Amino acid sequence: MTDRSTTLPPGGASAPGLLRAFIAKPEFGPLVLLVLMLVVFTSINPAFLSLTNIGNALTFTVELGLIALAMTLLMTSGEFDLSVGSVFGFAPVLMWTLFNTGAMALPLAFLVAIGAALLIGWVNGLFVTRLGIPSFLVTLGMLLVVRGTALWLTDGFPQRTWSAGDQWLSQVLVGGFCLGGEGETCTGGLRLYMSLVWFVLLAVLFHYVLTRTRFGNWIQATGGNPGAARNRGVKIGRVKVILFMVSAAMAALAGMISSIRVSAANPNSGTGYELEVIAMVVIGGTVLTGGRGTIVGTVLGVLILRLMRNGIVMIGVPGLAYNIFIGAIILGMMALHSALERRHNAGT
Amino acid sequence: MAEILVDMRNIEKSYGRVRALRGVNLQIRRGEIVGLLGDNGAGKSTLIKVLSGAVPYTSGEIVIKGRPVRMRSTLDAIANGIETIYQDSALVPQLSIARNLFLGRELRKGPGFLDRMDIDRMNHVAADLLRRVGISKNIPPTTPIGSLSGGERQAVAIARAMYFDSDIIILDEPTNNLGVAETQGVLRFVREARDTGHSCIFIAHNIHHVFQVVDRIVVMRRGAIVADDLSPRTSSIQEVEDIITGEHLAA
Repeated sequence: MTDRSTTLPPGGASAPGLLRAFIAKPEFGPLVLLVLMLVVFTSINPAFLSLTNIGNALTFTVELGLIALAMTLLMTSGEFDLSVGSVFGFAPVLMWTLFNTGAMALPLAFLVAIGAALLIGWVNGLFVTRLGIPSFLVTLGMLLVVRGTALWLTDGFPQRTWSAGDQWLSQVLVGGFCLGGEGETCTGGLRLYMSLVWFVLLAVLFHYVLTRTRFGNWIQATGGNPGAARNRGVKIGRVKVILFMVSAAMAALAGMISSIRVSAANPNSGTGYELEVIAMVVIGGTVLTGGRGTIVGTVLGVLILRLMRNGIVMIGVPGLAYNIFIGAIILGMMALHSALERRHNAGT
Repeated sequence: MAEILVDMRNIEKSYGRVRALRGVNLQIRRGEIVGLLGDNGAGKSTLIKVLSGAVPYTSGEIVIKGRPVRMRSTLDAIANGIETIYQDSALVPQLSIARNLFLGRELRKGPGFLDRMDIDRMNHVAADLLRRVGISKNIPPTTPIGSLSGGERQAVAIARAMYFDSDIIILDEPTNNLGVAETQGVLRFVREARDTGHSCIFIAHNIHHVFQVVDRIVVMRRGAIVADDLSPRTSSIQEVEDIITGEHLAA
């Protein structure tokens, strides 16, 4: 939680008190880990901090990051969504199929794909809230339905997207720009994509919603004590349905951004992303059981996992060993968060 | 005689073939603390759930301040001035005191984007309220509920009911799992609520706690009210216990 109104301990105004409050924040652990990673990777291979590498890493970061932002809100409300990876694959397939067959213009196809994702999220939400089925089972089922639909629509073949470059929509979503460099190749500068701008804007918006708005208060209450929230008139079912819809829409947006960037809409893309996204969120300090979530922590979690993937390759560790590091980070972070949680609950 | 706030008339509630409430009649007046006693399964919880809108009743009528109302949800009850403080589901441990106080009725800052809360004002009001209900320690309103003691949590829930001017505060086992000093604190809050014009329905297993604070004792057995106007000043604990268990009939 980054909101000072919920985290400052009693008498937290003095300097040591402020320091203690900072250490007790769920974002403290991931922040230290991120700084540590930057130091270690850079000291082994200075190219890690080069502008080219930062640009590359940030490009890959935002696509999973967009999903992680929505997943943070959903997990704070006490649910999670395993179908995001398959929505990530399905939405671009739908958009490009509609466009390539000449059925409609690309912006309209984009809206149809977002609409389809919202429908998927709505169905997820209804199954969870109306039928009382755990989100694990509902979204596992939806994962298979959506992935199956994407494969069936395409016969398993990727959809071509190379005509995307001329479209204003693809420029708005993933158009590249150069900071401080020269020429087509952005020599000596930092090459960034519009997707990063969207990620930053949405991260700020989601942080604001979670910490400053009424709806954010309801999200935390829904995950923290659903009975209390309901007794105070919070429509916890509606909160969850909205968040499932946001989660699916963000997965669709991320998938379409990715398809434009890699110039292919593969019906298999996004496989396994759901677990990586959940890992990013919990590493950042959001609690799996709900009630407490942090967008700042999630942004740190996203950076940690993506920079780890990038960094271990750059320092010469075999890429296949990536999962060992990720697993170790998850276990370490969970141990840290649980220790902090115990201290927090003990009122120290 | 003080004004009748709540008049429950001939309330019946059945779960399948089980009759949980059998024609219950109960009146609550302004400014009185009513202790609701009964053994497990006597129907206390069902009666309270009916009055707080948590479960629908099968038949009967609820009249609030002379007006018949239909309780379809807890929101209906809150709108009619009835606040229920359940033991486990009153507060959200992860949220601050101020955010809990205003949960569902957050103060908003306008013109705000996406219903922005006025967090400063919420904290300010909460701090004021904590002082008014006399929580002895200096607890900032930004403290998460999870780090408060059981008694302090009850105090926050009672303070909330008082702030929103509920006519009737229903306390379901408010002294369970509390130490001696904390129990006394909660009983003090209950008296304060009465002294400021609120009525309370106090449910507790510990009959000694009930005797310390209530003006009137109502006893339920097997879904019906078997004693309605026992006074803790004129009845002994033994007499009330006999009525609860049905021993007085055997005698």
